[in-house]
Amino acid sequence: MLILKPKFEFDVSVEAELTPELAEKSLEEIKNFRVWYGKFEKTLGELFDVQKEGDGKKLLLDGDFSKVKWVGSGMDDGEIVIKGNIGANCGAYMKGGRITIEGNADDWLGAEMKGGEIIVNGNAKNLIGCAYYGNPSGMQGGKILIEGDAGNYIGEKMAGGTIEIKGNAGDFIGTEMKGGEIIIHGDCGYAGGDMKSGTIKIGGEFDLLPTFRKSEDGWTGDILVGGEGKILKI
Amino acid sequence: MLWIKNGIVIDPKNKVDGEKMDVFIKDGKIVDESEVNKEECKVIDANNKLVVAGGVEMHAHIAGSKINVGRTMRPEEMRIVRHTANKLRVSLGRVLLTSPAIGYEYAKIGYTTAVEAASPPIGSPHTHEELDAIPIVDKAMLPVFGNWHFVFKYVAEKDREKLKAFIAWAIERTKGYGVKVVNPGGVEAWMYGGNVKNLEDEVPNWGVTPKEIITELVKSNEELDLPHSVHLHCNNLGNPGNYQTTIETMKLVSGLANKKRQTLHVTHVQFNAYAGSSWRDVASGAEEIAKVVNSMDNVTIDMGQAIFGHATAMTGDAPFQFTLHKLTGSRWVNKDSEIEGGAGIVPIVYLPKNPVHALQWAIGLELGLLVDSDKVVLTTDYPNGGPFTEYPYVMAMLMSRKMREKELERVSPYVQKATSLPAIEVEKTLYDVIQMTRSLPARVMGMENKGHLGIGADADVAIYSINPDDVDPAAQYELINSEFRKPVYTIKGGEIVVKDGAVVAESWGRTFWVDARKKVSLESIDEDLNSFFSSYYTIQRKNYGIQEEWLRNPVRVEVN
Repeated sequence: MLILKPKFEFDVSVEAELTPELAEKSLEEIKNFRVWYGKFEKTLGELFDVQKEGDGKKLLLDGDFSKVKWVGSGMDDGEIVIKGNIGANCGAYMKGGRITIEGNADDWLGAEMKGGEIIVNGNAKNLIGCAYYGNPSGMQGGKILIEGDAGNYIGEKMAGGTIEIKGNAGDFIGTEMKGGEIIIHGDCGYAGGDMKSGTIKIGGEFDLLPTFRKSEDGWTGDILVGGEGKILKI
Repeated sequence: MLWIKNGIVIDPKNKVDGEKMDVFIKDGKIVDESEVNKEECKVIDANNKLVVAGGVEMHAHIAGSKINVGRTMRPEEMRIVRHTANKLRVSLGRVLLTSPAIGYEYAKIGYTTAVEAASPPIGSPHTHEELDAIPIVDKAMLPVFGNWHFVFKYVAEKDREKLKAFIAWAIERTKGYGVKVVNPGGVEAWMYGGNVKNLEDEVPNWGVTPKEIITELVKSNEELDLPHSVHLHCNNLGNPGNYQTTIETMKLVSGLANKKRQTLHVTHVQFNAYAGSSWRDVASGAEEIAKVVNSMDNVTIDMGQAIFGHATAMTGDAPFQFTLHKLTGSRWVNKDSEIEGGAGIVPIVYLPKNPVHALQWAIGLELGLLVDSDKVVLTTDYPNGGPFTEYPYVMAMLMSRKMREKELERVSPYVQKATSLPAIEVEKTLYDVIQMTRSLPARVMGMENKGHLGIGADADVAIYSINPDDVDPAAQYELINSEFRKPVYTIKGGEIVVKDGAVVAESWGRTFWVDARKKVSLESIDEDLNSFFSSYYTIQRKNYGIQEEWLRNPVRVEVN
């Protein structure tokens, strides 16, 4: 296990593509891992206290990581535990393994992820499981669970996998969705705009677009794009 | 002063085929040995290396509103960083490159000249600003005429003198190089939701046909004796069965002759060479087109080769872009340019297993192989058919049947029955592909100092680590494909800009434009211009166009 603690409070964002494989490298290699601090290229050791316990494929991020972006980007195995908040793009392109966030998550959580699991004990912001601008598909597999609330644009262009939000969410849920499942236990705003396929399950109140047809157990649409997506009440 | 020593030169314009010789450069020109002081020369040892002229790109979309809107609508293209800022400009792009990247990437494959093939006239200030932002290569741009209301008017009135005056005026105002025509009449029809299918269809409200527009523009262009012929994107592009329209169009110029060049250049013919009646039975019409081109001595074409992978369709052919958007479900933007034309942009990915994409790929190669090497230019219609950075792949494919057989294994079997590519035995030589990428495009464009290494030519030279005496391109296609991607040297205007495949210096090329005003009476169209500008344009006539001094490095080519 590798334990990282910020050495000081970051003024600008840190771009650090930290994955569990890092824990398997030697301490020196880890300390020399290149990251960006604003426009400056730095080593991990310059920004963080690095401690290593055993060789397990696990990262423990202890402290405020809310300015640290791209943690767990593209990871395919192992585990990351974040004791505090985490910055944007956490778990983007993730293929496997697990990320547990004990605090809050920022935007673009699990963007374009293909597999694995992300658990957020606090809240998350916007664009969870989305496609990066211009790309055809968002989340394609895996699972994201958020115990608190989430923001707007959840699961845009989502093609597979599951996003579950225990609290409330904002507007534009599952826009252009092509597959997979979004479950919101609380309330949310507009859902399913231009959705082609997939399922959105909502526990609380939500705004229904006029382009959805009533079906046996909920609504089907978006008929504007000839979609067969489902919105269900739970 | 440069002395390129002991290189093996291939220079088709001067009929040099693999001769060991020295090339001397002074003040940006190729000069005779007697003009240089050898002791002061920087010597480049080109022993056992191929020495050729810098490549000439005669049809690509590299500047102007189309590519810029393409960049805006495709943020995903901008995530590939090719160069971070240090000595050189930062350059980005996967296929749709930023302006600095375009200059560097051309230089990195040994190309030193590039022509923007379709600029909306009203957007020409923007086009030139972008061209000025492209480093290294020499440039020129072709404004589009085929749907301009002035052209319709003068064609309808059968007033060729005024049409000629208008062409000369427009080319000077836009600082353009020649007459580009895109789907003549079709883009105008599109503004009413339609298109023209045949050469005899009437353009709504004007009572003229594509046939008349093309014929009149070609004749005007010939009477003006511009350096480049009419540069035509045919009607009916991208539709099954269109090869017949293409052939009919080419036959419109039979009987016309020009000693220096062709009288019609038909561009990206791959997109205009489909047989069949629908996408279900679409097939290749390349053989028929090749027969016609080979039988005519006043028509040239370029390939418009499709490359598997990402591309972005962008043309002044607005109705076709809408069709493509409907066909693929991909994003789409259309742009209108007042009374001058229109354009559209649609992202596309060519997939080897997709029967239609594989067919397009095969048709491009058929054209490249079946048409004589002095009539077909190698292009991908960048970024429509794919990136120009893949030219070495196309060169290798043209030279090696073995490579084609290998590639055919990974593409849709549909090409086996719908094209003749698997049966074609032609293997072009190094001389042929150098002709198709250097001397021929320079001749097609009427650029006398480009594309060759004769005395007086611009000192644009590419040196590759290929020994023509030793190499068998048919068997060593991998070597051809890899070496043409990384010239040992690219020399632009006598300056070394690329060494061992990496850009080492940034220079700024020139922008050529054509001035034919002396041959016409501009007064004859003065009233019409005033009336059109006051009635239909969003800007005033005095604000229209660009001054020569606004360009970074202009070269006026006067037609007398």
